[in-house]
Amino acid sequence: MENFPILAIMTLFMGAFINSLVGRRSHKARVAVVFTTMAISLLLVVSMVPAVMFRGEIITYWMGGWAPEAGWAYGIGLEVDALSLFFGLIVTIAVMVSGTYSFTYMKRDDSQVNFYTLFLMLAGSVLGLVLSGDLFNIFVMVEIMTFTAVALTAFRNDTEGALEGAFKYLVVGSLGSVSILTGTILIYGCLHTLNLAQIADLAIHTRNPVMVVAFGFLFVGFCTKAFMFPFQPLAADAHAVAPASISMMISGVLTKCGVYGMIRLVYVLFQNIGQTHVQYLVTGMGCLTMFICVTMAFNQHNFKRLLAFHSISQVGYVITAIGLGTAVGLGAGLYHAINHTLFKGLLFLVAGAVQHQTGTLDLDELGGLSKKMPKTTLLFLIGAASISGIPPFNGFASKWMIYQSIFSKAVNTGNIFFLLVCIVALLTSVLTLASFVKVAQSVFFGQCAVLCRDAEECEKGMRIPMWVLAILCVVLGLFPDQFGELFLKPAAGAAMGADVYAAAMLSGKAVTSMPAIYGYIGTWSPIVWIVLLLIVTAGMTIFSVSAPIRKPEALGEGEVEDEHVLPENAKYEPFFSGEESVHSHVTGSDLFWGFKENWKKYFSFWHDWHSGIVNDYELYGVVFLAAALIYCILFI
Amino acid sequence: MTFNYFVSFFFIVLGLFCIITRHNLFKVVIGMSVVDYGTNLLIVSIGASNKGTAPIYAAGEIVPGTWFVDPIPQALTLTSIVIGACITAMALSLVIKIYSKYGTLDTREIRRLHG
Repeated sequence: MENFPILAIMTLFMGAFINSLVGRRSHKARVAVVFTTMAISLLLVVSMVPAVMFRGEIITYWMGGWAPEAGWAYGIGLEVDALSLFFGLIVTIAVMVSGTYSFTYMKRDDSQVNFYTLFLMLAGSVLGLVLSGDLFNIFVMVEIMTFTAVALTAFRNDTEGALEGAFKYLVVGSLGSVSILTGTILIYGCLHTLNLAQIADLAIHTRNPVMVVAFGFLFVGFCTKAFMFPFQPLAADAHAVAPASISMMISGVLTKCGVYGMIRLVYVLFQNIGQTHVQYLVTGMGCLTMFICVTMAFNQHNFKRLLAFHSISQVGYVITAIGLGTAVGLGAGLYHAINHTLFKGLLFLVAGAVQHQTGTLDLDELGGLSKKMPKTTLLFLIGAASISGIPPFNGFASKWMIYQSIFSKAVNTGNIFFLLVCIVALLTSVLTLASFVKVAQSVFFGQCAVLCRDAEECEKGMRIPMWVLAILCVVLGLFPDQFGELFLKPAAGAAMGADVYAAAMLSGKAVTSMPAIYGYIGTWSPIVWIVLLLIVTAGMTIFSVSAPIRKPEALGEGEVEDEHVLPENAKYEPFFSGEESVHSHVTGSDLFWGFKENWKKYFSFWHDWHSGIVNDYELYGVVFLAAALIYCILFI
Repeated sequence: MTFNYFVSFFFIVLGLFCIITRHNLFKVVIGMSVVDYGTNLLIVSIGASNKGTAPIYAAGEIVPGTWFVDPIPQALTLTSIVIGACITAMALSLVIKIYSKYGTLDTREIRRLHG
């Protein structure tokens, strides 16, 4: 059993090399190697579930047999506790689905052997990151991850902007890597160890300015990897141009590495999540991210770019919940993390299928696909309902838990900040639903667009992976209590029990996890929320009805208007005079025209802010780094 | 040793300044490399010791009072240098591709993805 973690990681890396040897021969050889590799890795990770999740053991493995001596870790270790395994499961399931989808989706591309080699290396590095027990090892894995992700983003380098998106990702992403490295080495300078367990053991007793600065650097580094607020342009650019299966990997897996790093950092390494200022920092960043990204999604005309902003917005939810520092908040964050991988992966794969069948991702050029691709439309609706938080899908269950955890935090601490966060979270959910109405309208419903006339249903090889995700979406939504009991409780308990983590690694024997302190609180009452919903709806209706209606006279001079006034029944004329029907598809941009017009200044500010110039993005990142460091020094 | 820390952070800031203010893609890549060098210097400085010798000892040779530099940061630096070289190579190959596609090296003109 203790060999399983290293085997799961090495299988993926070995698969990458074997694939580059034999994959050139034929498509079948490639598929066989890649599929076997992914399946073995998934099986190895799943087979650790009973021991780690249900019995609470912690699996440790020392590379080269360098076990710790006299309580001091020398070698590089792998340590799999319930938290690591939870993310390991997310990673391997997403890799499996995305890889299977690629077999059909990438069929028309050339040099596929390189694609799968890079893909497996990406998968291996991400799995290595979440199972690793060594801070420098995490840095190396982050670098391999960024490197392969950049190469895969630019894989279809004839796509408009693919190279550009990859270059921006590389340059600004390297800021995150350098931050993680600097933080790591500052910790080494203070504590003379790189082992996570040892750091967790020592850092709690070592409070000096250098450690605080190291915390700031690591925080910014993991923020970059999760594409938090000032880094979201990178995600948007990379998602829009990458192949769909890679978009799924970036949104479902790479951002999760940032989330995992964040949890390890604040709960295990520094254990400072109890401090109010750390909570402000993490929750505030999450809250800012989710609101700005969801409003940015309103302006988008590219299907995948829109999905990318939603993806980051949902990661904002996860980070917000994690930053609360309560067991139920952490559980909610983990639940939303796995749900985000499922529904966002599903939506990206649907976008890929649309692109594969029609050749475009432009929302203004698509329309009426529901008649041509009914099964894909159904899958899209499941994904859209999940992300918007409509019961009984999984997004509802996890978002409900997040609202509840924020609300209970606000009630328990009496802090107005958390109440504001709760309001922003609810508002973001509404906006998410609104913009998915827009996508559904402009892509799948309405009149059939010219480009979509010849579109056909996508192949089975692409639909099966999507169905797997869709079914998982429904299952996780229908059984939240069972899932919480089996997976979230151990994972949240493992993150809260840093001393157990340290003891298991250093003493060399597995120790049972502390009893988890995860559970629902008293406000878990659907009726209260439905009443609240009714009150809010009624309030908004009254508000919108009572708003003064603008009279036409107020618009301008009377005589000017007269020229534009049509004869009494002119507007009905096209319907009676037998004119040829015109193409009148209501596109997505028309749906919320009024809303966008009222908020024009806000939207154009953020539109200009995403200038597309790499220097600007780096500037935002550096300003954020400086601000985070100053905040840490002042308050933590 | 304090001097080393100042120089390394100076390099990091200089590199970041270069990335932010220069609009030529090659200069952006140079800036990335300078940030890397600054970090590498920081790592070596943390393990260094003025009185120390190379950390090559057989078992039993180490007695109290022996001074040697910490070998771990040196190993980390090697890894970090290799990774930095890979990143630079990757960035440069992307720059070549971008130049042949866009016909320019000015970052202000390479912004087809924005908004």
